[in-house]
Amino acid sequence: MLTIDGSFGEGGGQILRTALGLSLITGTPFKIEKIRAKRSKPGLMRQHLTAVNAAAKVGAADVEGAAIGSQTLIFTPQNLLPGEYSFAVATAGSATLVLQTVLPALLSASASSKLTLEGGTHNPFAPPFDFLAKSFLPLINRMGPKITASLIRPGFYPAGGGRFVVEIEPVKSLSGFDLLQRGEIIAKRAKAMVASLPTIIAEKELKVIAHKMSWDSSCLHIEKIANSAGPGNIVTIELESENICEVFTGFGERGVKSEDVAEQVVKMARRYLVSGVPVGEYLTDQLLVPLAIAGEGSFVSIGLSRHSTTNIEIIKKFLGVTFAISQLEKSGWLIEIKK
Amino acid sequence: MLTYTVLYLLTLLFKAVLSLWISSLENKLKFMSSTNGYVVIGLLGPTLDSGKGAERWERWRPTVALCRHENFLIKRLELLYQEKFKSLLEILVEDIKMISPETQVKTNVIDFEDPWDFEQVYGSLHDFARKYEFKTDKEDYLIHITTGTHVAQICMFLLTESHYFPAKLIQTSPPSKFHTEDPGNFTIIDLDLSKYDRIASRFNLEQVESISFLKSGIETKNRQFNRLIERIEQVAISSKAPILLMGPTGAGKSNLAKRIYELRRSKHLLEGRFVDINCATIRGDAAMSALFGHVKGSFTGAVQSRPGLLRAADGGLLFLDEIGELGLDEQAMLLRALEEKVFMPMGADTEVSSDFQLIAGTNRDLALQVREGKFREDLLARINLWTFRLPGLKDRLEDVEPNLNYELEKSAQHMGKHITISKEAREKFLRFAVSSEAVWSGNFRDLNAAVIRMATLALGGRISVEVVEEEIERLRAAWHDPKEQAAYSDRDAELLLESLIGFDAAAELDRFDRVQLLDVLQVCKQSNSLSEAGRTLFASSRGQKKNINDADRLRKYLARFSIRWQQIKGEEE
Repeated sequence: MLTIDGSFGEGGGQILRTALGLSLITGTPFKIEKIRAKRSKPGLMRQHLTAVNAAAKVGAADVEGAAIGSQTLIFTPQNLLPGEYSFAVATAGSATLVLQTVLPALLSASASSKLTLEGGTHNPFAPPFDFLAKSFLPLINRMGPKITASLIRPGFYPAGGGRFVVEIEPVKSLSGFDLLQRGEIIAKRAKAMVASLPTIIAEKELKVIAHKMSWDSSCLHIEKIANSAGPGNIVTIELESENICEVFTGFGERGVKSEDVAEQVVKMARRYLVSGVPVGEYLTDQLLVPLAIAGEGSFVSIGLSRHSTTNIEIIKKFLGVTFAISQLEKSGWLIEIKK
Repeated sequence: MLTYTVLYLLTLLFKAVLSLWISSLENKLKFMSSTNGYVVIGLLGPTLDSGKGAERWERWRPTVALCRHENFLIKRLELLYQEKFKSLLEILVEDIKMISPETQVKTNVIDFEDPWDFEQVYGSLHDFARKYEFKTDKEDYLIHITTGTHVAQICMFLLTESHYFPAKLIQTSPPSKFHTEDPGNFTIIDLDLSKYDRIASRFNLEQVESISFLKSGIETKNRQFNRLIERIEQVAISSKAPILLMGPTGAGKSNLAKRIYELRRSKHLLEGRFVDINCATIRGDAAMSALFGHVKGSFTGAVQSRPGLLRAADGGLLFLDEIGELGLDEQAMLLRALEEKVFMPMGADTEVSSDFQLIAGTNRDLALQVREGKFREDLLARINLWTFRLPGLKDRLEDVEPNLNYELEKSAQHMGKHITISKEAREKFLRFAVSSEAVWSGNFRDLNAAVIRMATLALGGRISVEVVEEEIERLRAAWHDPKEQAAYSDRDAELLLESLIGFDAAAELDRFDRVQLLDVLQVCKQSNSLSEAGRTLFASSRGQKKNINDADRLRKYLARFSIRWQQIKGEEE
């Protein structure tokens, strides 16, 4: 049985989720200790427990230590069971993180799956739904499976109550890809979402983006959400290139000016544009596991976060792959994955 | 009316206790986990939990917030609600289902019309608690006490404390005002655990303070005496029943009675005055009148009407020293006043009422007096619920030194100068004080008088060996000279004093002045002239003065108390 130090590297819930995902796919049981040991509230929190329970269902797993505050967990998957599942995350926690836990295993399962996920759909510190749908999943589809994701309604902090459905047509085995060039930008789009909040917030955000990016009004879109449970505001910038689509998200927050929210997104988008590389930091994080499962692939990234470097270490424990990471002359990093 | 006062006090106590617990527990509970799963029982809060529309998520709603903690999982929420808040309940249930899909929400109608009516609220919560099937082996119960009226909170608290709810308490508090959409904080409080040691120790501290107060701050060492005072402290603050203080003269009965009064007043157990009288100083009509008052002309000499001491003590405390000296008529009247709180002043045709607390003092064996027909049995039964026997100084020799220090300090305060005693002098005095030679027939009153005399005679505020030796001689003489003892006992001196200035004025004298004045009167009584008394009283200082006018000094001293020489000698009228 693999033993993982949960306090290693980034030391948070990501280690657990990556381990769960890889355990499902490889059938390798593992024991994780010191889960979130250095956090102010150490051990498993409710959102982690939800991820553990979801993985346990999908993998018909035996689980020990699945309790709030627990710092040790033993996970022994028995049998991968694709099918229809519904997972709900409490406290407006991110539902996309639960998807991230179970998705890799379902990509090459023996049958198709349909997942209904409830909770937060647009949370800071988690991949927002728009990023999944527009940026991440199209790249996964490029590896063979057919995945569609549809947002029923968004869920924001603090009310949550969002819902989206993900349908997965698996393949026998994933094939990797090489993504070394971005290509020309072919479309750009800024979208401000407001739910139960004045439209002026969205207008202000788009005004800042239009001004800073020198975009004309045809790129700007306001989306008024009528069916969300609670109030919320996000603003996204989508940059679609020949080979990839990147999505940057800013989160409106009580007490933070809409202009500042927009400025943040502009900053991320500009940095990406200037770098000229295809893959941004968050997407880098997400691509490591599927490419490692495929056992081959390479891409150029703007940089590796602590999340990414931690993930690489966990992946190496479960899968017999090697990573080659080298800094490029101009800008960015080349990441190569081999068996 | 009373209920509301009690309620208010309870609320205050409750809040104080709670905040203390919480401060002691906060930050200790980083996460909460229950192997059985938590079941929370709480009231829907019509005020705090309210909110419609999207903006309700920006408000802190305790019941919803409770279900929103990442580190706290509720298996089931038992939500108690009043029928009229059904629509609010529906919103709440939906919100909780969404925000906490793991939690099963059960709703329970609870029928109280008035959430501020203690009886109704307690009754219906009590009914709920009794009917509820608690499975303590499978579930851990928590009572959420943040929502509901104060009355409801108190009832939940009481029902938990009395184990009708086999549960711990859970208290929630709002987030900072900058993050009103956050769930805030929660604290679990186990009333059964020793976690309230700090509260207990606070109560202990308060008790220690009260005990020390009863002992006038004197660090007495006698174990028996200390135990006695502990017991008195308990009784003093928890009972309004009469107290009987037994003990020899000078054992400190009067002082203790005064202290009990002050302790009770500081705890708001009474608001009225402290009234004390030595029953040995009043007889006959005068006794009746002094105690129960009279109307004008009710007896010879009753020129003015007088309210009497019982009425003066209305709402306060009456200390009857030497209660065994009270006549049978007065005893009967007193018994009625104690039992029915009414009595008949002399010459009056209507009863008057007075609600006073009673402390009685006695040096006599009242049971023996009952047998001899001198004391009413029913009155004794009424006043001896709490009987405390104060030991004399002879039985508390280890307390001589702390009392000496105390008396020295008190003398210094009264005289406005620093009084010290040389080491040698102190040792000499203490050696004598604990020897078999020292009779201490007047107990602490003797000690008090001795210290005042020594402090007065101390040159430059320092009590020397010579002063102590002189005092020892004086005490020896007082205790061992049978003539002197016979001629003058403490009680006689007091009787003389009260006859001179009246018992009201005598009662109001500071102990400091009283002791001095009694000694002066004693000398006067035994002297043939004012000059002779003056010579005796100022024997030490007269040698140092150029103009000797002891008689004048004495006259002026007596005049301060409106006493004339002729009165002492019985030469007037």
